[in-house]
Amino acid sequence: MPSEPLIQLRDVHLAFGDNPVLRGIDLDVQAGQAVSIIGPSGSGKSTILRCMTGLLRPQRGNIRIGDTAVEQLQGEAGLIALRKQVGFVFQQYNLFPHLSVLDNLLIAPTKVLGRPRQAVRDEALALLDKVRLGHKATAFPGELSGGQQQRVAIARALAMRPKLILFDEVTSALDPEMVGEVLAVIRELTEEGMTCVLVTHEMRFAEEISDQVYFTEHGRIVEHGSAEQVFRAPTHARTQAFLQHALGEGSQRPSRPAPDVLTNLGRYSLSV
Amino acid sequence: MAIEHFATLWQWSPTLGAGLLQNIQISVGAIGLGTLLGLLVGILLLSPLRPLRGVARLWVQVFRNAPWLVLIYFTSYVFPFDVQIAGTWVAFPDWLKVTVGLALPASANVAEIFRGAVASIPATQWEAARSLAFSRGQIFTSIILPQCLRRMLPPWMNLYAVVTMGTALASLVGVHDLIDSAQIAANTVNRSGFTVLVYFSVLALFFFYCYPIARLTQRLERRYAF
Amino acid sequence: MSDSLHWLVGQLAHLGLNYAFLLDAYASGKLLDGALTTLGLCLFSIVGSLLVGALLAAAVTSGQRWLAWPARAFIEVTRNTPTLVQLYCAFLVLNMLINQSLGSANPMIPFAWVVLVISLHKGAFHAEALRAGIEAVPAVTLEAASSLAFSRRQQLLQVQLPLAVRFALPALVNNLIDLVKMTAVASAIAVNDITYASIMIWTQGDNVIELMLLILAFFGLLSFAVNCIGRALEARLRMPGYGH
Repeated sequence: MPSEPLIQLRDVHLAFGDNPVLRGIDLDVQAGQAVSIIGPSGSGKSTILRCMTGLLRPQRGNIRIGDTAVEQLQGEAGLIALRKQVGFVFQQYNLFPHLSVLDNLLIAPTKVLGRPRQAVRDEALALLDKVRLGHKATAFPGELSGGQQQRVAIARALAMRPKLILFDEVTSALDPEMVGEVLAVIRELTEEGMTCVLVTHEMRFAEEISDQVYFTEHGRIVEHGSAEQVFRAPTHARTQAFLQHALGEGSQRPSRPAPDVLTNLGRYSLSV
Repeated sequence: MAIEHFATLWQWSPTLGAGLLQNIQISVGAIGLGTLLGLLVGILLLSPLRPLRGVARLWVQVFRNAPWLVLIYFTSYVFPFDVQIAGTWVAFPDWLKVTVGLALPASANVAEIFRGAVASIPATQWEAARSLAFSRGQIFTSIILPQCLRRMLPPWMNLYAVVTMGTALASLVGVHDLIDSAQIAANTVNRSGFTVLVYFSVLALFFFYCYPIARLTQRLERRYAF
Repeated sequence: MSDSLHWLVGQLAHLGLNYAFLLDAYASGKLLDGALTTLGLCLFSIVGSLLVGALLAAAVTSGQRWLAWPARAFIEVTRNTPTLVQLYCAFLVLNMLINQSLGSANPMIPFAWVVLVISLHKGAFHAEALRAGIEAVPAVTLEAASSLAFSRRQQLLQVQLPLAVRFALPALVNNLIDLVKMTAVASAIAVNDITYASIMIWTQGDNVIELMLLILAFFGLLSFAVNCIGRALEARLRMPGYGH
């Protein structure tokens, strides 16, 4: 594809304290492409996504999204402008527990974009239908299964009409039987031409839907290419070893993180 | 001027110290009595017998929802001046009445702390112990109770600090405690600078007694957090 | 009304409780007055304490050392000293100083001192509950808001505070129930609340137990009312599927 890529990362470095996480990442995503980032746990995959949406700031290198130089953004206004274009779906769904499913979809378009509630509402209901949750509009996140919550989270990101969506291990926290329903939604999005960047452990899914695949290890891109090339004919020994392991044992999933514990804060109120 | 007031405060310090000891004496007595009573009520709360549970619940409800001051008035005005024990009349001094008055709400709170601690032990502990062929009583004394005591300690210490602050109310029913001493000192010296000093000294004394308990409570809570 | 009161007093007399004083205009008027005063103390202090609590919580979580530190110190001192001593420091000491400088122009009446002291005292407890609530909002939930292009202010108003209040609500309700009971301390500086009115009556007669039961019932009723309002609010703000 000859055109200018929608996302461009050049030599991105990031360290948490003394611990380097990204050590020179180069990555390109063309508009309309689906790109997967695969690699062992702790190889910096999620960090790359967080840098793209400005949740983390790299110490060195350039990140360009559309016309925005992300690493140069100063202050809140620039980040907000960026995030209006970039959707983000989290491993832990991170829905707002005090709002109904529909309100979760409405809050950002109405409060952040300032769009009229009625128009957004129609759109949001259509999006819920699209993720096959039209009947759950009035439910609260706590009443939904993990797979349902994750589909709501995808719809919430779509309600902002983003130019691209970043998926951060969105099936890792799910029970196996719910993975399929979430992947089906993502597959549809990629087929419709939404630009998607996925960090995933679902190797077969990545192979099926991706235009480009990046393999990362120890904060570096070890290998990248078309899905077919990376999965069928990996050139690097590390990639071969990783894929043999990952595909051989089925899609290996990391252990399930504990859900957010919302404790009751019964502090002592007694006094005299 | 200020120095002079501090000198006066120094002169009054034995009186104030005696008052503080009275507060501490009442607080220790009240938490002791309250803990004994409270554990008893707490065990009744868990009793399989419905009437016993009802009585215990009523006790907790009444004494948790009553203002402490009203309970102190209650024991002070309703209890007799002396009681007959084994044929001899034994005086029932004011400070002892206050001790009982504070022990009542303390017991209700101890019972609640106890019940909460037992309830916080996961049911799986009972199941695990039962599968090891422990009896109900054995499970309670050797598995549940040790875990409970550890969890009860921080809220119990917090309760002690509250009871200590509650002893300040003793002065209102004529006990010669720290606040009563301070009032006498302020009225006797009758200088506004000294009045400021003596009342804020009382505040400071309570603070330096209760704050370390609060800090220790927080540390224990953090350590026992799971 | 007075017929049913007569009947009730008669019935209670069978139980050995002498409530005849309720039929006496002086005593019943004094009690009613006291009950209204207590009610007023509760209402003003509830509003005041919530205001103080919100301000202190804002100061403590502001991230500004010069704001957070004094607020923190105030909370610790308030939580670890008796309300009665605080009331004396306010009414016997500060009020004295104000009197000395303003004379009869001093606007503070004992009632106002009680409201002020209880508001500050319980405000410190509210602040702790609110702070814990604010800190309990998961960082990832705020990250989600920020990834949806919420400004810092929108994150605070739309996500962090609504969640924090929900987390803190049970503790706040407990605090308010405790506040209701605490108003009895007003009797220490001769504010004519229900406790003080009762003391006035029983020093003239021999009906301490009857009056005690009456006060306990009254405070029980007030606590119950606060509890009901609190539970209703909790039900309204409930997040289905979370906690409890």
